[in-house]
Amino acid sequence: MISFLAYWWRRFSPKTMVCHFFAEIVRSLSPGICFVLGLGVVSATIVALLPVAPHDGLQIWVGDGNHAMLYRALAPEWNRRHPDLPLRVSLIVGPALQSRMLSGFYSGTPVADLIEVERGQIGQVFAGPLEDIGFADLSDRLAQEGLLAKINTSSFSPWTSRGHIFGLPHDVHPVMLIYRADLVEAAGIDVGQIETWADYFRLMRPLLKDLDGDGYIDRYPLTVSLTNPFFSEIFLLQGGGGYFDPAGHPTLNSATNVRILAQLGGWYAGPDRMIGDVNMYTGSGLRQLGEGYAIALPGADWYLGSLSVSLPKMAGKFKIMPLPAWAKGGRRTSVNGGTMLGITKASKHPEAAWELAKYLYFSPVMARRLFELTHIVSPMKTNWSQTYYDQPDPYYSGQPVGRMCLQQAPDVPTRPASPYFSSAIQLVNSALNQLMQVADRSATSDPAKLEPDARRLLDQAQRDLVAQMNRNVFLAGAKP
Amino acid sequence: MKSCRPHSPWTPWLFLAPFLALFSAFIAWPLLRSLILAFEQTFGPRTVTYVGLLNFRFMLHDPMFWVAVRNTALFAFGTLVIQVPAALALALLLNRPALRGRALFRLVFFSPTIVGTVFVGVIFSVLLERRTGLVNTLLHGLIRSWNPDFAWVDGFVMPSLILASLWLSVGFNMAYLLAALQNVPSDQLDAASIDGANAWQRFWHVTFPAIQPVLNILVLLTLVGSFQLFDLPFILYADSFGNGPNNAALSIVTYLYQTGFRSGDLGYASAIGWVLTLVLVAAALLHRRLSRHEEAGS
Repeated sequence: MISFLAYWWRRFSPKTMVCHFFAEIVRSLSPGICFVLGLGVVSATIVALLPVAPHDGLQIWVGDGNHAMLYRALAPEWNRRHPDLPLRVSLIVGPALQSRMLSGFYSGTPVADLIEVERGQIGQVFAGPLEDIGFADLSDRLAQEGLLAKINTSSFSPWTSRGHIFGLPHDVHPVMLIYRADLVEAAGIDVGQIETWADYFRLMRPLLKDLDGDGYIDRYPLTVSLTNPFFSEIFLLQGGGGYFDPAGHPTLNSATNVRILAQLGGWYAGPDRMIGDVNMYTGSGLRQLGEGYAIALPGADWYLGSLSVSLPKMAGKFKIMPLPAWAKGGRRTSVNGGTMLGITKASKHPEAAWELAKYLYFSPVMARRLFELTHIVSPMKTNWSQTYYDQPDPYYSGQPVGRMCLQQAPDVPTRPASPYFSSAIQLVNSALNQLMQVADRSATSDPAKLEPDARRLLDQAQRDLVAQMNRNVFLAGAKP
Repeated sequence: MKSCRPHSPWTPWLFLAPFLALFSAFIAWPLLRSLILAFEQTFGPRTVTYVGLLNFRFMLHDPMFWVAVRNTALFAFGTLVIQVPAALALALLLNRPALRGRALFRLVFFSPTIVGTVFVGVIFSVLLERRTGLVNTLLHGLIRSWNPDFAWVDGFVMPSLILASLWLSVGFNMAYLLAALQNVPSDQLDAASIDGANAWQRFWHVTFPAIQPVLNILVLLTLVGSFQLFDLPFILYADSFGNGPNNAALSIVTYLYQTGFRSGDLGYASAIGWVLTLVLVAAALLHRRLSRHEEAGS
C-alpha cells in the first residue's frame, strides 16, 4: 500500500493525484460496482455524521430487573426535584454490564454515572493499581457524613480494596435456615432446641429417610448444591473462616477452614452423609424442595423473596430460623451474595450522583419498597426500626421474616475483597470435592479422621493461590 | 467484440485493498498484539508492564493449566476414538440403497448439529439430572435397584462431555463421509465383487482408500474442535463456571477464558492461547505428514 501511494506521489502532484486516483478507480471498475461503492461511501458518511443521542441527566446501569423497576418508580420524584439532571435507568444483563463497565474503565469508552455491581463482578475492578480503579473512592464522603457508623459495618467489606471503599452497600444479606415446617413439625421435632449444627443433625436425623424402601435416601435434613462454591463459603464464613484477611492476604489453609472443611466433608460424603445435593436455583431443585427431598437449606434474605415467587403453591409450608451455630454461643448467620452502587470516575456530575446514590439506597421509602418486593433488608441501621419489617409473612407461616433477618444482621461476617476471590472459591471447592472422595474411599464421615486430608488439600490450595497472586505486579500491598 | 481496456499494474492491489485492510485490522494486528500481550501483565490497555517470559514460566508450574491440558487431551482422544468411527459406521449404514427411510434417518442424525451446542448442553443436563432427570427416572422405574440419585453428569464428567459432543457432531461428520462414500467408484466395487472379495475386503481395499482424504480432514477437524472445547462444559457445569466437580471438566479454553475475562489476567490468557495455537499447529503438521505418508504408501 505504501509503495502504491509512493508511485502516485512520484507521478503526480498531490492535487492531481487524488483526481487521478479516483479516475483510475472509475476506469478499473464497472459502472455498477462504482455505483455500489459510491452508495457505500455516501451512506457511511451519513451514518458517521449522525448526531449521537444526547446523554443528559444521570445515567445508572443496573443488572437486576427488580432493582431497575424500583429505581424507575423513584425516577419521577427525583426528576421533579432535579429537572436539570433527570434519572435514566438502563437494565443491562450481568456479563454485558461487566464487559461494558470494564471497557469503560480500561479504555475510556462511555460509562454511566453510577453502576450497580454484584460481588462476583467486582474482583476484576480491583485487580490493578489503586489509582486505575474506575470507581470513585467514597471513603472520605462516608466518613464526613457519618455514614460509616450508620451502615452495617460488614456490608462494606466486599467493596473495600486496600483500605478504600468504592461503593455503597445495597444489602446485608443475612443467611437463615429455610425449612419445611410442615414435615418437621409433623415429625414432632422442636426446632427451639437447636442451637448448634450438632443439635440440628441429631434432632433432624429421624427425617433422613428411605421413603419407598428401595434402599436409597429420599429425604435429607439439609441440602445444598455441592458443586456451587458459594455454599461452602456460607459455612466457612459462619464458622469464622474465609478466603482472605482484611489486608487481602489469602487464608485458605487457616486452622478454622481446615476444621470446617473436614466437617463438611463428613456431612457431604461417607457412610454418615447428612447433606443432599440439590441445586436450588434450578427447576429440578425447586421441585425436590416441593416434594420434600430437601427438608432445609441455607438461604439469604434475597432467596426468601425469590423462593416465594418461584414456589407460590408452597405458601405456609416453610419457616425460617437462624442458622445453627458451629459451637454454643456462636454466630447464627452467614452471608451470601451482595451488590454495591459505585460512582464512576468518568461521571461529570459526581455530587449529584452521590445524592442520587444515597436517595436510592438509604431512603426509608426505597428500603420499604425493596423489602416488600424482594425481602432484602436495608444495610442502613436507621431503617431497621421500621414497622414493615415486623409484618407477618403468610408465605413463611406468618413469621416476621424481615425482623428475623435483621436480628442476625449485626452478626453477618465480613468478606474482605480480593481480585483473586473467584480463584479462591474454586480452589477451596476443589479441595472439598477431593475430600469427599477421600471420605467415600475410606468409608468415614468422622471429621477428626478427615482433618489431615483437609489440611493437606487446603495447604495445596493456598500454595496455588499464592503462586497466582505473586505474579501480579500491580498488587504490591496485597501480596502474601 | 468488446475491446479490452489496459489496466494499471496497481489495479489488482486496488481490488485486494479492502480485504487487506480488514485482514490487517481484524486478524493480523490482533494476532500480533496478542503475541506481545503474552509477554506483558496488564490492567486495561493503559497500565502495562513487560514481564518477559514470566507468563510462560508460570504456566509450566501452574497445576490448573496442566489439569486443563490433561482434561482436553482426554476429551480429544475420546472424541477421536469414538466420534469418527461412529460417524463412519452411520454413513456406511445410511449409504445402503436398500435401507428404507434413509433421508429421514440422515435428517435425524444431522439435526443436533443444527440446534447447536447450547441446546444440546441444556437438554443433556435436563435428561441426566439426578432424581428428576428422565434417564434416572426411567431407569429407576424399570430397575428398582437403580439409584435415582445416580450422578451421570457430576460422577462421569469426561464420558458425559464426550457423549454430548458425540450427539452434537456425529451427524455433521456423517454428512461428510456420506458425500465421500457416494463418490466411491461403483465399477471398482463391482470388479472387486466379481473377483470374489467379501464385504470387509471391499471396504478395506476399495472404499476406505477412496474416502481416506475426507477421513483425514475429519480427523484434523475433530482434533482441532476438541482442543477448542469450551461451550459444552460451560453449559453442563454452569454452577462451577465450567470447571465441573474437582475441575474434571476444565478445558484449556475454559481456563483461558477464566484467566482473561474473570480474573482479568489478559497477559497470561494470551500466553495460554499461544501455547494452544502452537500445540494445534504441531498436531496439524504431524497429521499432515502422516496423511501424506499413508497416501504415498497406498
